[in-house]
Amino acid sequence: MSAFNGMLALAVNGFRESRRNRVTVVVYLFAAILIFAATFALEMTVGTFERVMTDLGLGVISIITVVLTIFLGSGLIPREIERRTIFMIVSKPVARSSFVVGRLLGNLLTSFFVLVIMAVLLIGQMVVEGTPIRESLVVALIGIALEVLVLSCVSFAFAAGSSQFVSAVCCSGLYFLGHLSTDLYKFADRAKSPVLGFLGKVAYYVLPNLDRLDFKGRATYADPTPWSELGGSVVYAIGYSVVMIVIATAVFERRDFK
Amino acid sequence: MAAAIQTEQLSKTYSVGFPVRKKVLALQGLDLKVEEGEIYGLLGPNGAGKSTTIKLTLNLIRPTSGSVKVFGLDPSEPKARAQIGFLPENPAPYEYLTGVEFVTLAAQLVGVPSGELKSRVSEVVEKVGMGTAAALQIRRYSKGMIQRISLAQALVGRPKLLILDEPTSGLDVLGRQLIRDVIVEERKKGTAVLFCSHIIPDVEALCDRVALVIGGKNIRTGTVSSLIESDSNQVELVIDGAVAALDEKLRPHVKQLDRLSERVVVRCEESATNTVLKVLLEANARVVKLQRTKFTLEELFIKAVKESGQAVGSSMS
Ligand SMILES: Nc1ncnc2c1ncn2[C@@H]1O[C@H](COP(=O)(O)OP(=O)(O)OP(=O)(O)O)[C@@H](O)[C@H]1O
Ligand SMILES: [Mg+2]
Repeated sequence: MSAFNGMLALAVNGFRESRRNRVTVVVYLFAAILIFAATFALEMTVGTFERVMTDLGLGVISIITVVLTIFLGSGLIPREIERRTIFMIVSKPVARSSFVVGRLLGNLLTSFFVLVIMAVLLIGQMVVEGTPIRESLVVALIGIALEVLVLSCVSFAFAAGSSQFVSAVCCSGLYFLGHLSTDLYKFADRAKSPVLGFLGKVAYYVLPNLDRLDFKGRATYADPTPWSELGGSVVYAIGYSVVMIVIATAVFERRDFK
Repeated sequence: MAAAIQTEQLSKTYSVGFPVRKKVLALQGLDLKVEEGEIYGLLGPNGAGKSTTIKLTLNLIRPTSGSVKVFGLDPSEPKARAQIGFLPENPAPYEYLTGVEFVTLAAQLVGVPSGELKSRVSEVVEKVGMGTAAALQIRRYSKGMIQRISLAQALVGRPKLLILDEPTSGLDVLGRQLIRDVIVEERKKGTAVLFCSHIIPDVEALCDRVALVIGGKNIRTGTVSSLIESDSNQVELVIDGAVAALDEKLRPHVKQLDRLSERVVVRCEESATNTVLKVLLEANARVVKLQRTKFTLEELFIKAVKESGQAVGSSMS
């Protein structure tokens, strides 16, 4: 019970810190882009307007949350170790795994907070312009939330054992590869060399399959996604995240804080 | 009942440097036992391994070999750390939280029940004299204020063992007095206190026992008075009515000779005592006092460090 309270306290205070640290001002950037885009898009027909706003809005939301999430996730633990803020926290009667999960939850709160505000701004803008809000848009936003979850956990898995720079670079690399993973699978299938084919398949299963969480393209053309497919993506994202958390805590458990 | 802290042959080696790894032998078989309810001082030159010892008792680092137990438990168990309040050297609390928020977080982490949070936090915040500044974000604090709020977070869990790494650093006169008062008060409650400090008068005044750590080893342990006496193998003689001519006869046999008009104070090796006495008797001088020399803790410290030939840091290999 008290382990849970400690985790929650770490999460809430982590969110509080990043708000005071002005991390959340990125939403102003989004608002500015949205207003700027809308003034251009007003000339268009209603159908085109909807498509442009959905496409652009989701694209920008996705980029901002991904950059923010990687930045937060890869910096947090290395910075705590370097500044030695960790001394007074990890020496308390909390398990190191609780520390990792608590800090991770704090980051997720921040990322989700930013995501929700941006989603509300986008939907508000569309309501004002009289464009319909479709299910496919909501599904795409859920997909972005799942991507945030996976990337947060991946960045923690790297950051638990390396520096901020290394983990940011690795996590960004994984983000791009993760979006290529469908191609990778096809490539592995067609590869002439069996070794290459095998390696490609291994990479496909090890890398996060971020394509599975990406419903932005469908939202642009208002293509519905079956709930069962979304359900599968949710399960996949949570499963992948849990594995990453296990890796992060296992690495962190062994570390010396000199 | 198990000791508050017990270490056995505790060793820690750091590997540093790239690509050529060097080993820093920070601790080399340290034996230490802090009993429940006692105030224990760690004394030693810079880089002797004091902070390393403290970090090992808090599971911030793991021993390379040997063991450390806190109330009989391994420090990696949260249950062991639940009994400890810790003030690190140059503490770094979360700067974007206010003092009260940080101490509250600490209280939640040590498992203070939520109904008592508010009163417990304000109690310790008042105690360290941070009542008015506690609502300010910590990045606006001075060094001494950070030290005080960090002390508050160490006390908020009502620990049975308080570990303070250079607690008075950065504090003003009143702050240093505060630390001394806190230590004395905690001891009255039966809390064991382990602290290290470079301010020897504080160590001398507060500690039940002291360990002298040099080069990662425990060179000497004991009460302050036993240390400063046992270490002496010199004898001090006070002589009255000694003529000036006597000085020259004494000099070959003594280490130190101070003359205050008719009275002379000499220090000599214990083994030379009889020779010196013989000289004095032959000269018909009057010996009014003969006693084993007492060093101050500071003199003892300097002497031990010089003997070890290791003024700063620890051995490398
Ligand atoms: N992170 C580290 N990496 C490598 N060596 C280290 C590290 N931290 C400490 N050391 C080495 O370990 C030895 C002991 O350091 P420690 O911090 O325990 O000393 P100390 O007794 O607390 O000294 P001080 O009085 O200066 O605080 C030193 O020789 C130091 O060089
Ligand atoms: Mg130190």
